Amino acid sequence: MRDDLSRHAAVLQGAGFILALLVAWEITSALGWLRPHSFPPPSRIAQGAWELAVRGFPEGVRVWTHALATLRRIFSGFVLAMVLAIPSGILIGASQTLDRLTHPVITFARSVATLSLLPLVIVWFGTGELSKTLLIAYGCFWVMLSNVIAGVKYVDPTLIRAARTMDTPGSEIFTRIVLPAALPRIFAGARTALGVGFMVIVGAEMIGTIEGLGALIMEARTFYRTDVTIVGMMLLGVMGVVFAIGMEALERRLLPWHRGLSEVRR
Amino acid sequence: MTGNAMPKIEVLRVSKHFGAASSAPVLSGVDLACAENEFVCLLGRSGCGKTTLLNIIAGLVPPSSGEVRVDGERVTGPGRGKGMVFQQNALFPWLSARSNVEFGARRSGLEKQAARRIAEELLELVGLREYGERYPGQLSGGMQQRVAIARALALDPQILLMDEPFGALDEITRLDMQAELLRVWSSRRKTVVFVTHSIMEALMLGDRVAVMGGGGIASIHDVAKDRPRSRSDPAVIRLHDEIWQGLH
Amino acid sequence: MNPRAADALLGLGGILIVLAGWELVARSGVVSQSVFPPPIHAMVIGLRKVPLPDLGGHVWISLQRIAFGFSAGALLGVVIAVAGGWYRVFGNLVRPVVEMLRPIPPLAWIPMAIVWFGLGEPSKVFVIFLGAFFPVLTNTWKGMSNIDATLLRAGQTMGLSGPELLIKVAIPATLPDIATGLRIGWGLAFGVLVAAELIAAESGLGYMIMHARQLGEVEVIILGILVIGAANLVTDWLLARVLANWLGKWQDTTRAE
Repeated sequence: MRDDLSRHAAVLQGAGFILALLVAWEITSALGWLRPHSFPPPSRIAQGAWELAVRGFPEGVRVWTHALATLRRIFSGFVLAMVLAIPSGILIGASQTLDRLTHPVITFARSVATLSLLPLVIVWFGTGELSKTLLIAYGCFWVMLSNVIAGVKYVDPTLIRAARTMDTPGSEIFTRIVLPAALPRIFAGARTALGVGFMVIVGAEMIGTIEGLGALIMEARTFYRTDVTIVGMMLLGVMGVVFAIGMEALERRLLPWHRGLSEVRR
Repeated sequence: MTGNAMPKIEVLRVSKHFGAASSAPVLSGVDLACAENEFVCLLGRSGCGKTTLLNIIAGLVPPSSGEVRVDGERVTGPGRGKGMVFQQNALFPWLSARSNVEFGARRSGLEKQAARRIAEELLELVGLREYGERYPGQLSGGMQQRVAIARALALDPQILLMDEPFGALDEITRLDMQAELLRVWSSRRKTVVFVTHSIMEALMLGDRVAVMGGGGIASIHDVAKDRPRSRSDPAVIRLHDEIWQGLH
Repeated sequence: MNPRAADALLGLGGILIVLAGWELVARSGVVSQSVFPPPIHAMVIGLRKVPLPDLGGHVWISLQRIAFGFSAGALLGVVIAVAGGWYRVFGNLVRPVVEMLRPIPPLAWIPMAIVWFGLGEPSKVFVIFLGAFFPVLTNTWKGMSNIDATLLRAGQTMGLSGPELLIKVAIPATLPDIATGLRIGWGLAFGVLVAAELIAAESGLGYMIMHARQLGEVEVIILGILVIGAANLVTDWLLARVLANWLGKWQDTTRAE
């Protein structure tokens, strides 16, 4: 009861504060204290959003086209990374030799900032879709790979012992114990990888395209339309949140036992 | 209780050291025999090697020297009629309580239908008939251990190995579980080796209590009392003091 | 052979296999060597085009930008999170704003950074700042809200209250989470570096490789990528060591029996 009350208070305070900020922003802009180009007021941003939805920016390229282009790129890179990382991660995680052999290479490849590959990918594959997909796939792949390996490698030994006392043959221990036990970690990896995808896409879209939210925000700036830039930024943020929530819902659906575990044990 | 027939479990001169052969052994030349349907408790401080000995009997860990025989046959690996209950968190968290028990039943060679029936029966036996659909994470510690016992029984083993199964439970639940275990054991007789660090628990449960220390079995005490036993029974208290003194 | 030496040897083997594979493919002539040069060759040519002192200069500039942006981001992140976690009303006000801004990828701020700070150093440092700020803030905040209540009560029974309780109990209890945030933040600072240096830079590793692309010098690009990776790896390792030292021995989980 007490907790509920303080939670309501927290939400009210937070919402009120944000509202107050927006109002202050609008008023100071109207008074000419804030330069509209640097800090376009909320009303201006709303107008920009409307224009983006109806007329498009640049003219004819509407917001859905931008968002869809961005999503398509993230999705194709992400899926490519999953398809490659899950089997190889399982393989490496299952074999101690392979794990030791690949560990330094994987550590280094993870340290290579994905965007530093941008110029190389452009030289090799041009500025088209393939480059963007590959760049996102690279970023997602290594995050995913490390998580799959760790998931398979660090299965609670008690579970394996328990299975062995029940006469479970080795192949079944792998498919029925190790893999399910690794799933939460694999999911965590996928969630992180998706975050990486959202981060890389903006950099990737800054070159060689006018479609996509990354391109939109850069273009809008060069045309002094910072209101549109901010709309694009907000959309990127919203999309990121929606996908993170979606992944969580999917995980709850597919791994109901894991959710229960962390909730009850606490 | 100890009959004249061949012992069910024989531990013969078992030694174990981890790491370099020169390091101090955890176990050195341990001998122990358990009769059929006998309930033996291994009692000792943390780090005395009681869990290691249990793991060797289970076939999970090979001895450095010596051997363990079950029904006169050398143990070479886990499984084959040796059910085990661990301290905690050994249930498969992604399987419901019933599926965990079913997993055990299926491993003992039963068909799906039969395995399901056995699982229901065993959950009933441990008092969790209504909790079959719950995941382990949604059960209390005591309930989890009941499921773990049901799962081990589902293998229909002749031997039940228990590694401090109630060690992580609170005292009250622990007492309940001891009574529960005795009830289950009286309906499904097994040879039980039960590891514990509680003197009273050992005295409440075991036909014999083997006290471990110094890398081996320091003393063995017969508890010639019918169950259920009373904690205030003078004989029990006397044994308790005797063991307590012996540990120092 | 002890296991650590075996690990190192196998790991080295893995690296050699990758390099040998790269060398073989590059020499096979399937792709032109000017587009896909073999590794050693790329290093040698790359270093001929960007001599060591120049390369060192780029590394130095980039590291400086990261150091500035990271320090500012980490400091502000810790301060806001500690204050927000401790003073409830401040926390209630700030948290929603943070949660609204956090999902926006740091790179998406680049256009606004240019509008606000121009094309000079501040806008680059600002983007790096954002990369470090959010992870440090969220991890610290998480640590602050998960402090074991028993610790705080123990502190109170010993007469601590207010800021003293915060400084002597709450913040030390949060240090492990701050450390986690710092390492994630450092990684992200490196992650956004190249993009930040796309902003009209004339120096730095990001500039070096983007410039090399315009000149078609693949060797320099490859050299740059490897140097960025190595710099990230080495500095992350150093940071981990420093943090481990700083957290001290109380985090040591090996305990005496």
